[in-house]
Amino acid sequence: MKKTAYLETARGAKPQGKETPAAAPAEFKIIGQPTPRVDGKLVVTGRAVYTHDVYFKDMLFAKILRSPHASAEVTAVDLTAAQGLSGVMAAVKLKEGRVKYEGEQVAAVAAVSERIAEDALKLIKVEYRTLPFVVTPEKAMAEGAPRVHDSANLEKINEYSRGSVDQGFAEAEVTFERTYRTAIEIHQPVETHASVAKWDGDELTVWDSTQAIFNVRDGLAEALGIPETKVRVIKMYMGGGFGSKLDVNEHTIVAAGLARQTGRPVKITLTRKENSLCVGNRPSTQITIKGGAKKDGTLTALSLKNITCGGTDRGDEASEPLIDIYKCPNVKVEEFTVFTNTGAGRATRAPGHVQGTFALEGFMEELATELGLDPLEFRRKNYTTSNQGGTGIVYSSKGLDKCYDIGAQRIDWTRRNKKPGEGQGKRRRGLGMASQIWWGGGVPGTLADIKLHRDGSVEAISGTQDLGCGTRTFMAIITAETLGLEPKDITIKIGDTVYPWAPISGGSLTAPSVGPAIRDAALKAADYLREMAAKKLSVPAADIVLAGGKLFAKSKPDTSIAFKDLVKGMRREAVFHGERGPMPAGFAYNTFGAHFAEVEVDTETGRISVIKVVAVHEVGRILNRLTAESQVVGGITQGISTALFEERVIDENTGKMVNPNLQNYKIATSMDMPEIVPIFVDLVDPRINNLGNKGLGEPPRIPPSAAVANAVYNAVGVHLREIPMTPDKVLRALQSKEAGS
Amino acid sequence: MEKTSRKKKKTVTRRAFLQGLGGGAAGAALATRIRGQAAGSGQAEAPLPAAYTRKTINFTVNGKQVSAEVEPRETLLEVLRDQLKLAGTKRTCDRGECGGCTVLVDGQAMYSCLFPAVRANGRQVVTVEGLAEGEALHPVQQAFIEKDAYQCGYCMPGFIMASVALLNQNPNPSLGQIKAGLSGNLCRCGNYVKIYEAVAAASQKMRKS
Amino acid sequence: MKNFQWTEPQTIEQALAMLTKVNGKAVLMAGGTDLFTEIKEGVVEPDLVIDLRSIPGLASIQKDDKGVRIGALATVASIASDALIKQDLSGLSEAAGSLATPQLRNIGTLGGNLCQRPRCWYYRDAQMVCRKKGGSQCFAAKGRNKYHAIFGGGICHIVYPSDLAPMLIALDAQIAISSPRGERSLPLGEFYALPAKNVRRENVLAGDEIVREVRIPPAKKGTRSAYVKLKERETWDFALVSAAVRGIGSGGGLDDVAIVLGGVAPIPWRLGKTEAALKGKKISEALLKEALSADLQEARPLEENAYKLDLVRAAVGRALGNLTRA
Repeated sequence: MKKTAYLETARGAKPQGKETPAAAPAEFKIIGQPTPRVDGKLVVTGRAVYTHDVYFKDMLFAKILRSPHASAEVTAVDLTAAQGLSGVMAAVKLKEGRVKYEGEQVAAVAAVSERIAEDALKLIKVEYRTLPFVVTPEKAMAEGAPRVHDSANLEKINEYSRGSVDQGFAEAEVTFERTYRTAIEIHQPVETHASVAKWDGDELTVWDSTQAIFNVRDGLAEALGIPETKVRVIKMYMGGGFGSKLDVNEHTIVAAGLARQTGRPVKITLTRKENSLCVGNRPSTQITIKGGAKKDGTLTALSLKNITCGGTDRGDEASEPLIDIYKCPNVKVEEFTVFTNTGAGRATRAPGHVQGTFALEGFMEELATELGLDPLEFRRKNYTTSNQGGTGIVYSSKGLDKCYDIGAQRIDWTRRNKKPGEGQGKRRRGLGMASQIWWGGGVPGTLADIKLHRDGSVEAISGTQDLGCGTRTFMAIITAETLGLEPKDITIKIGDTVYPWAPISGGSLTAPSVGPAIRDAALKAADYLREMAAKKLSVPAADIVLAGGKLFAKSKPDTSIAFKDLVKGMRREAVFHGERGPMPAGFAYNTFGAHFAEVEVDTETGRISVIKVVAVHEVGRILNRLTAESQVVGGITQGISTALFEERVIDENTGKMVNPNLQNYKIATSMDMPEIVPIFVDLVDPRINNLGNKGLGEPPRIPPSAAVANAVYNAVGVHLREIPMTPDKVLRALQSKEAGS
Repeated sequence: MEKTSRKKKKTVTRRAFLQGLGGGAAGAALATRIRGQAAGSGQAEAPLPAAYTRKTINFTVNGKQVSAEVEPRETLLEVLRDQLKLAGTKRTCDRGECGGCTVLVDGQAMYSCLFPAVRANGRQVVTVEGLAEGEALHPVQQAFIEKDAYQCGYCMPGFIMASVALLNQNPNPSLGQIKAGLSGNLCRCGNYVKIYEAVAAASQKMRKS
Repeated sequence: MKNFQWTEPQTIEQALAMLTKVNGKAVLMAGGTDLFTEIKEGVVEPDLVIDLRSIPGLASIQKDDKGVRIGALATVASIASDALIKQDLSGLSEAAGSLATPQLRNIGTLGGNLCQRPRCWYYRDAQMVCRKKGGSQCFAAKGRNKYHAIFGGGICHIVYPSDLAPMLIALDAQIAISSPRGERSLPLGEFYALPAKNVRRENVLAGDEIVREVRIPPAKKGTRSAYVKLKERETWDFALVSAAVRGIGSGGGLDDVAIVLGGVAPIPWRLGKTEAALKGKKISEALLKEALSADLQEARPLEENAYKLDLVRAAVGRALGNLTRA
């Protein structure tokens, strides 16, 4: 999926119309409380079925042969020996001509076992004519560099301006410029990519480990040249995605093709090495920010230049936080992408915002120090209730100031070094913070159904995905709340394109899209039930309350009928269609947060330990406090992981990735964790949807690296300006500080 | 924890020798028998052990006796998932670099992706499917739900087994000991601090009962 | 991966016989955590795997008047938790406990750890045929080398990844080796060999030899040991730099000091000059810096690994500090 399309979806459809959705009640019984996952038993007993676990008796196993070269011409592919291997049912050529990165697919086989498929790959003879390549942005931008595509390696992808930065810098009493760098990050979901394709006549069913069943369906239909009506995509459980599973993957198309060719179901599972090489990554960035401010801290100008690298695809635009969060009338942004012969970038949890926030928040920290101001006060000084840095429209709800207050109090902001690095001893502590902004409105038009069965069972149905965010559970919570039942009474049906349309589970879209759609359907069901009960109980429908598995009149609580008994009287099962309504125009719908981190830096070994992170988020109404806290915890873990460890390492001489595994692509472990305090500002958005909730998937992923880097700065007096902050970098930075450079 | 020599669980009988010779249908056994002194005399002309490319192994999984025909290159993980259809244990990196495939072998937590299936012969293996008693969940499983220890759930079987091994060995672990006990399992969703809470809760429950 | 044959010898003699039978394409598997990953990556393609775990009697930890004897098949976990070792050889206990993860320690063995192959990411990629695999270049020399050697490089820049090796060398351990020619034993420090000697191997084990056990001689009274391992992540990682030290505290100074580094060279690297400079003196930061300078002068850092020099100072300082702590 094109990154820009992803961001458009994340931003949500343009708010339209004047419709104000049903006001959300102030008091809910279940919504907002901590509720354990309704499908917990299935997962903890190992019975939840993930795509890797899908099995058919006559299934074949597909494997893909991939280019070992960063740049080459495939001049011949000889499948004969592979085809001749006993147990191989099909072998296909996938590529003719240029391959542009290590890992690009060249050929594929389908065999009766995975082993035979792997053996068959070794028998495929491919002739490559290797070509010159570039694998670093620096080399790619150099004069005479080999071209990755037919156009130049450097391409402008974004520009923006408001006011006049020249004037703004002229007005400034202090001007400051710094450059920040972020590395390539690999998603590494614990479940590697996998698909199973099965044809029934001319109809295709695909089980896919995906965050986007409809995208996969449509992508397959297009690739195979068949109508969308002939494709069905099913996702039961999935083991993580983080953006790497947001559209149809090449290997899924390959599996579908092989299944069609052989007439048997075909399963393809990627290895960890393939996941490291060729299903996407978070593009790197090199962001230069120049800022001007008055001595009292008022920002007068901000400019940003970003050079981002997304391999063979475009990198990430990273300027949104700078454009939006802080009040500043004069802003200029220029963003460029650099192509290299490496795996293409892909949406990765809060694309662009993670990198842009690392740079912006590091810059704010350093500029504050330059101005002699407390970094938190500096941010408060430039607070705005309208977007685009105060020049746009008002935020529908913004609780960032409360995030600051609560976070500062909980971590005890007064403990920080007044001057960065002023502590003593070999192990130095420091506090740092970072602000965060993201979209959160979800997608109007999302559909959902509720079905009431005559035996009292209830279904909540949506073509959404649950990648671990607790979607099933909030659907059960909302339905149960509205119908006066318990979450365990609700049967959840998701992850199938035969169900009502829902957007991708990415961009923090799911809760603010599917939640309101389910609520809409449930409210309709409740109205219907009230009407039925009103007749049975001879009370006005408006008087009837649904609670405790019963319907009763508010004025006469003893007059009641059990839900189960009421629905017995239905002529047939009842279906209620819900839709997530539009958001009123004239408002900006965003989510906000602030992370406060405490670190300890061992100045002799360069090791950074994160001691504590207080994470305060404002995302409107919280649906399930238990799973919401996990979202925050998870985002922080990933942020710490990239702040300290993660980096794709490429050998420039051979163009190959040297760490396509989990030993050397280092993900934070249980031993690297701080104390984490997740806090929510309970601020229900009055107009965003019928629940007042916003998305939480990405917000917690955005600020942690910046907060940690700022805490390191506070601890040792030098800002590393580059992640991951591995011991070698920390030691070098400390030495150059000592040397006074 | 075992401190001294591991007791060999089974002695090799002549019959086992011969079984090794025969192998399975696809096996080509390299068995050179040099007749000489009796086996075990330590002299150079003792008969060589059989070498085989297939073997029938017998072991227990979750208390049940099972039998499987395996190649030496097969891992316990593959046998569990592909032959015994116990899909609860996941293949996540296949290199012992993430812990997702953790099972218990004779009570010890191990990466089943690095455990040659042939070595499972005679062993007791416990997987995540073997913890609950009917519908009654193991306290660790129950705690993992109550404390929301998982998000996508894919690393959970590995964490649950590692937690069970930890608590069997140390029924009252401190936070540091919990972290260390789980230091061989990765959670990419990043839910570690929730997992600690769940393990602490489970240990409390298990000590009460 | 290609299939291979499997055999379960009942004695070391049988294992040795199988080793020579298959003409160089047989490998010994102890715990298998290293070998199996090499096989899966296609770096090693054996015809026959000889299962050492089927040999009884090789996994014990015993103490007699000759010292502590640890069988080659003793698991790392059993070494880490052994009460005797914790008491008398605390550095070894620390080294064993710092290694890998609980699950890997449950299977990994002493012998396997001492004979493991390097973790150089070029070596571990079957497509990169470096000198160690019979090729003609070292990819790390001008490549990505932040984890590679600062000492003893030259034609190959691996670091020896074992934690147990440097610690055992610091404890004057002897390694006992069986072969068809009988038994031999040598100081563990002589077991490892620089690439210049034979770039294809890291140790002097012949093709028909098996490690049987390690023996640690009784230490002088008051001897203490410590192991400090510096890493990026707090678990799983191999050492960036590690320091294994042994010494006897006496009146503020240290006698009989041994300092052996891991993670800096193709073999465990003994800091002989540092040891000599520290002998009998009271250790201070200034003295240590001075004492290390002669050994550190021999360092030849590569493009990305000069930081290891700082880590050597930190690791040695901390390990020695641990020795003198109550």
